[in-house]
Amino acid sequence: MSLLPFIASGIGLGAVYALASVGLVILYRASGTLNFAFGAFGGVSAFLAWQLAQDDIPAPIGWIVGIAVSTALAYGYGRLFAPRLAHRDRVVRAIATLGLALFLFGGMALYWGIGVARRLVLPTDLSFVVLFGVRLSYTRLIALGLSLGMAGGIGLLLSRTRLGLGMRALASDRHISAAIGVRVVQIDSLAWLINGLFAGIAGILLANINRLDAGTLTFLVIPAIAAAIMARLSSLPGAFVGGMVAGMIEALLIASSPVIANLRSAGPYIAALLFLMIVGVGQGVGARE
Amino acid sequence: MNEMSKAAPIAALEPAGPEISPQLRAITIVVVVGLVSIVIALTCGGYWLSNFTQAYCMALAVLGCALLYGQLGLVSLCQWALVGAGGWVALRVYHYIHPPFFVTILSGGVGASVIGMIWGLPALRMRGLYLALVTLMLAAAFQSLVTVISFPVGGPGFLGQVGASGNDRINMARPIFAASDTGYFLYVAVVTVLCIFLVEAHRRSKPGRAWALIRKNEQMAAAAGVRIVFYKAWAFALSGFLAGVAGALLAGLFGQLDASAFPTTSSIVIFIGTLLGGYDVWLGAFLGGVLTRFIPALLIDLNVNTNVGFMIFGAALLFALRDPLGLGGQLTILAERLYGKFQAQRA
Amino acid sequence: MIKIDALTVRFGGIKPLDALEAQFTAPICGLIGPNGAGKTTLLNVLSGFVTPLEGTILLDEASLLKLSPRRRVNLGLRRTFQQELVVDELTAVENIQAIADHVSADYASARREVASALDFVGLSSRRNVLGRHLNLYDRRMVEIAKTLIGRPKVILMDEPGAGLNEAETEQLRRLLMEIPSTFDTQLVLIDHDADLIASVCVETLVLDFGKRLAMGPTRAVLDDPVVRHAYLGRE
Repeated sequence: MSLLPFIASGIGLGAVYALASVGLVILYRASGTLNFAFGAFGGVSAFLAWQLAQDDIPAPIGWIVGIAVSTALAYGYGRLFAPRLAHRDRVVRAIATLGLALFLFGGMALYWGIGVARRLVLPTDLSFVVLFGVRLSYTRLIALGLSLGMAGGIGLLLSRTRLGLGMRALASDRHISAAIGVRVVQIDSLAWLINGLFAGIAGILLANINRLDAGTLTFLVIPAIAAAIMARLSSLPGAFVGGMVAGMIEALLIASSPVIANLRSAGPYIAALLFLMIVGVGQGVGARE
Repeated sequence: MNEMSKAAPIAALEPAGPEISPQLRAITIVVVVGLVSIVIALTCGGYWLSNFTQAYCMALAVLGCALLYGQLGLVSLCQWALVGAGGWVALRVYHYIHPPFFVTILSGGVGASVIGMIWGLPALRMRGLYLALVTLMLAAAFQSLVTVISFPVGGPGFLGQVGASGNDRINMARPIFAASDTGYFLYVAVVTVLCIFLVEAHRRSKPGRAWALIRKNEQMAAAAGVRIVFYKAWAFALSGFLAGVAGALLAGLFGQLDASAFPTTSSIVIFIGTLLGGYDVWLGAFLGGVLTRFIPALLIDLNVNTNVGFMIFGAALLFALRDPLGLGGQLTILAERLYGKFQAQRA
Repeated sequence: MIKIDALTVRFGGIKPLDALEAQFTAPICGLIGPNGAGKTTLLNVLSGFVTPLEGTILLDEASLLKLSPRRRVNLGLRRTFQQELVVDELTAVENIQAIADHVSADYASARREVASALDFVGLSSRRNVLGRHLNLYDRRMVEIAKTLIGRPKVILMDEPGAGLNEAETEQLRRLLMEIPSTFDTQLVLIDHDADLIASVCVETLVLDFGKRLAMGPTRAVLDDPVVRHAYLGRE
């Protein structure tokens, strides 16, 4: 059987995971918080976009509203709640976002239900190009392009601008950065804003490529984390590549035997687990003394 | 020899409470759990009795989770998956050899303990966030796996499945003397008390002391001669054992287990219960576990969508993080203060 | 007895210890020097937390290099630290038992050693008080009691007197003086209280910039103009 169709779907899924992974790493580097609610933010964005389309509002407005709300949610959390936990350790801050994720998941499931088969249809689904014998819908191409573009853009922001310098300083040492005048709250909030923006876009794309389901979207965050882990939670290019790899693995597992196909969602996790065990955790978050 | 320290005392960090002897603690555990259980047994009918039995099982799971978090500061987000693993092993053993019920329970406990160690050992070298992430991913992987292989129902082969019709499913039998719903609930209550004793015994002896040293400062503990990996593994094993026992008891309650009962979110909810109840005292695990079952059961009873439960738990987590004591911790402090006053009045 | 030879430690561009050579032979020895002289680094090297670039350290003729901190404990090395290491959730006796669990030869000697250590530091009446309810002096006593378990040979103490008032320091002084004879062990003491060092330590090593500035009978060292200059020259 030809693997090419699966590669095509792998590219789309991989692009979404890459976007999510980059978003997670950026926020982690700037604020030391791993945002478990990333997928949930994306879900809110996707559901709002879908709902507005159902109510006969032009699709682009739906997307903008969805992305805007997701961004606002993230910014709001980062501005209002996260600072209260700023003095706690990383695990506690991450667990807090898990609570937020659960809260949003419950809300989405409550309002829109679970297990209903829906997909967020985008106009770019209908057109496609054929590259190396593989049919790639415009959506998938856009996903890839957006992913690359946003990751690259953020990379430039971090390395070329004063703001980026501030974010890198914060990641390196929060207390000292605050002491020398780096605007901690401002930069933190910005990092959350970027996170929400990435989440909003990733959510809409995943709702299209995979399905519009509260559970699927909320738990998008898990393979994204797996990818981010493979980038040691620090390297942006690594996060991007990790995401693409995770998506590819998942897509290719569908191509293999039916039994393994059912287990495919465990693919990224096992990969990350093996990675951690074999390569080790290196410096940073998980390292021993 | 040390009169001077009384002459010019510097204030201690907190005023000392009354001394609680191990005997008093043991009696308190039996009395509290016993009274609550008797009240439930006498007043509850089928729906609530079943839910409270499940609640006690969740309390066991929380007890294990609280052990890891309270004693060692390790976040485990896969505890409910281990409950499922324990249930699977218990069902598998039951269908193979039909042993006495307590043997089935032990096998579930040991099975989950071993599985927990297998996936815990690589993670032992990771700390903090990575451990939490790895356990979350494992819970998700378990959900995938068990959805595919399902739970043993008396069929042939290792997986013990029967055909799609499901008519040939065999239920796991309860112990003869605890076959009724009330009887089984009380059986579960007794097991819960025994497990609490098991944990308390650990805390008051060598492993508990070693865990405390490790949590205070791992490097210093190693320098003092504590074998870090060994004691962490022990904590994982005990935590897994408790989860496995819970799984076996659940299997006994329903006769079968269903994969849909073991989603990733349940492991997260167990951790939330750990924080809400308070991870430092046994009462915290008991209350936390009961709450995590009680709230959804109440919502169903009131015809409220269970997703509201997720919203409640999510919000509760956000606020529980601000208070390390939890409900159980607060109650315990209150009780100790009252006891201290009582002792002072008697003296 | 501890013998140190040509000991050098390097962190990046700094040498906290620079070709240090010294011997601790007296029952109680002092280790003093201005802030940043390398005193705690020396203890960290002895404990095994810091690997020296070069040099040798011998404990009773046995080389400590390449031995893990735990192995050094087995050889009889003990240590207290500047920071707080009493576990709040354990009682005083449990804190000490936690150490005995891993250094005492067996259960019987563990019980004996814990009881005698508690008694020596005067905490017997407060053995069941939780760590979080102990005041500073009692916490220090717990730390000292922990070092007395399991037949210590050399105990390194890093500022045991910090934060204690006069009466408590006097009590500490009396305690420290009795340790070598009661437990057949050597004591090496860092502290900033010159009176404590002078009254307790037979001989003292003075460090400055990671090098040995002076070593000898404590009174002579403290009166040495070179040493005074090193301290006063800083202020």
